Amino acid sequence: MRVTLETKPRKKPNIPIEAESIIPHNFLRGTDLSVYEGNKQRSLDEIFFITVEGPAVSPDQVEVILKGDTGRIKRVGEYMNAGKIVVEGDIGMHCGNFMSAGQITVRGNADAWLGREMRGGEIVCHGNAGHYCGAGYRGEKRGMRGGRLEVLGNAGDFLAEYLCGGEVIIHGDTGDLPGVEMRGGKLVIEGSCTRPCGNMSGGTCLVFGQVHDLLPTFEKRERTQVDFRGMNVTMDTYHGDVANRGKGSLLVRSGDHA
Amino acid sequence: MKIEDVVCTFCGCLCDDLVVEVEGDMVVNVENGCTLANKKFMGNNRLKTPIKRDGGNWKKVGLDEAIQTAAGILLDADRPLLYGWSGTHGEAQTIGVHMAELLGAVIDNTSTVCHGPSIMAIQEVGHPGCTLGQVKNRADVIVYWGANPIEAHPRHMSRYTTYADGFFLKEAFRERKVIVVDIRKTETANIADEFIMVEPGADYALLSALRAIVRGKGDVLPRTVAGVEKEQLIRVADICMSAKFGAMFFGLGLTMSRGKYKNIRNAIELTEELNRHTKFTISPMRGHWNVYGSNEVFTWITGYPFAVDFARGIAFYNPGETTSVDILKRGECDACLVVGSDPGAHFPGDCCRHLADIPTIQIDPHVNATTHLSRLQIPVAVTGIDAEGTAYRMDGVPIRTRKVIDTTYPSDSEVLDKIYQIIRKET
Ligand code: SF4
Repeated sequence: MRVTLETKPRKKPNIPIEAESIIPHNFLRGTDLSVYEGNKQRSLDEIFFITVEGPAVSPDQVEVILKGDTGRIKRVGEYMNAGKIVVEGDIGMHCGNFMSAGQITVRGNADAWLGREMRGGEIVCHGNAGHYCGAGYRGEKRGMRGGRLEVLGNAGDFLAEYLCGGEVIIHGDTGDLPGVEMRGGKLVIEGSCTRPCGNMSGGTCLVFGQVHDLLPTFEKRERTQVDFRGMNVTMDTYHGDVANRGKGSLLVRSGDHA
Repeated sequence: MKIEDVVCTFCGCLCDDLVVEVEGDMVVNVENGCTLANKKFMGNNRLKTPIKRDGGNWKKVGLDEAIQTAAGILLDADRPLLYGWSGTHGEAQTIGVHMAELLGAVIDNTSTVCHGPSIMAIQEVGHPGCTLGQVKNRADVIVYWGANPIEAHPRHMSRYTTYADGFFLKEAFRERKVIVVDIRKTETANIADEFIMVEPGADYALLSALRAIVRGKGDVLPRTVAGVEKEQLIRVADICMSAKFGAMFFGLGLTMSRGKYKNIRNAIELTEELNRHTKFTISPMRGHWNVYGSNEVFTWITGYPFAVDFARGIAFYNPGETTSVDILKRGECDACLVVGSDPGAHFPGDCCRHLADIPTIQIDPHVNATTHLSRLQIPVAVTGIDAEGTAYRMDGVPIRTRKVIDTTYPSDSEVLDKIYQIIRKET
């Protein structure tokens, strides 16, 4: 089944829409769903032109396509457990919160908290991701726990905060403090970043671009070789964060940090 | 007439020893207060009646009409924002929260641009704090990090730290050591025993380095960290570890610089580490008068200290998403009520522009920068001068403020309650 949701023009287009009801599973029972526009509850068809093509008997046979002005739509794919969501443009905050299985593709940019506390499945964002990509909610001690989150562009600050499991791959640069409070999992930054892995206690972070302002509390260990896109790359290995009795590993391409 | 033990209504110190002289409905003299207090008590830029925009001009309106207009604007909105609250008393803040719940609004206080990051860090790792009384009577080492009390909290040092003799410190000025960490040599740094000049935006690295030294892992550190020699850091860590009772105070230099709440978390974790060696506490230098009270009131009622979004009928909190600056910057809200604060003077330009684009209502005694962005302003009594109410000191101690003069202005609570009653009828 393919469900296409195309946004209708809105009188106040800046008001955020909260749409946790948009997950493949829910469309098995039709399209009589609701979302919130600011403090007003709206039916799905007040916000979108809806087209449904083909049948489905299980959520993994459902593909939801979002089109139009979707950059203010939050919480799409929250608790998603099967199927596919494709966002043709940008997507608002909290896309893929707590998702456990299935696939989300964002062809544009994703706003903050993409894949927040994700447990499984896959998210691919073709544009840039905002702050707190793959992170946890405020005060939550565990961020992303499983699955795969890939961003082809850049990511903002506090990327993969409290990362506990799974894999986060950023092809571009990141903002400040990626992997802060990281406890497990794998974080790969192909571009440059600032102050990676502050207060990390576990897990592995690899940075193939430049590291700016490497924190002083990382203990330098032996060099190591890793495979990066079929090339053998020499990496400096650091252990830390010593300020936190941490046992994490930070690998930075040799000669590329100041 | 002289009135003693009056509580100051300006900064988070809430000094409660002012002597105020009044003549009729005017304060004519203030004793014991700092310059800021004198200005606050004797300032006279008060708006006389409610004003409403009428095309390009302001028109005077009656209180009832102003209240009806305010309620109508808020009821019409799909995403109203209720902002401010630190300049008013707890009773008014309570009405504000209940109003936000009825309206499905976002309610936020000035922590959003000051110590919100401190609260976020406390939510992550707790708060080894204490009252200012304990600091005064016990602390022999004081650290001011990213704070300049001589200019921002002028009596902090004379009432609680450097110049205040305490029960266990009979000659405070000689017995207390003062460490100041800042990016420039401030007035406070001039009287410090040890001044650490940190590179801008590098506090996080410095705090991590101090934690490593206190843990005995100083050998990992390079020769300089954030522009500071390792020897100085070792010396400072030694002063802190050998204190009988240490008290760290931090300001916006730490909360609003690069890293924000992670800086505060690092400072709290340094304090925890120091507590393996001695007694050490950490406290925010809360700035705007009753901002601590707004955090308390919001938390009692909603579970969250600031940036509370009631759009879905239940409280949701997520700084970065539900904070005023972010909401305004994204142009989300379609009406705003400002109470006891001046976002026009403090918020980024984009946010101010949005406030001017939407119907903004201000409840405030004075004409200020926000007046120029508003469509309606209702003047009220100043809590602690012509209205009474409860406020919280920066260390979380509630203090009842007094009314020292009688005027005809309604209090914030009275105005808000009238608006609330209309909203209650309509929702
Ligand atoms: S230090 Fe603060 S509370 Fe005390 S008198 Fe000055 S402005 Fe008022």
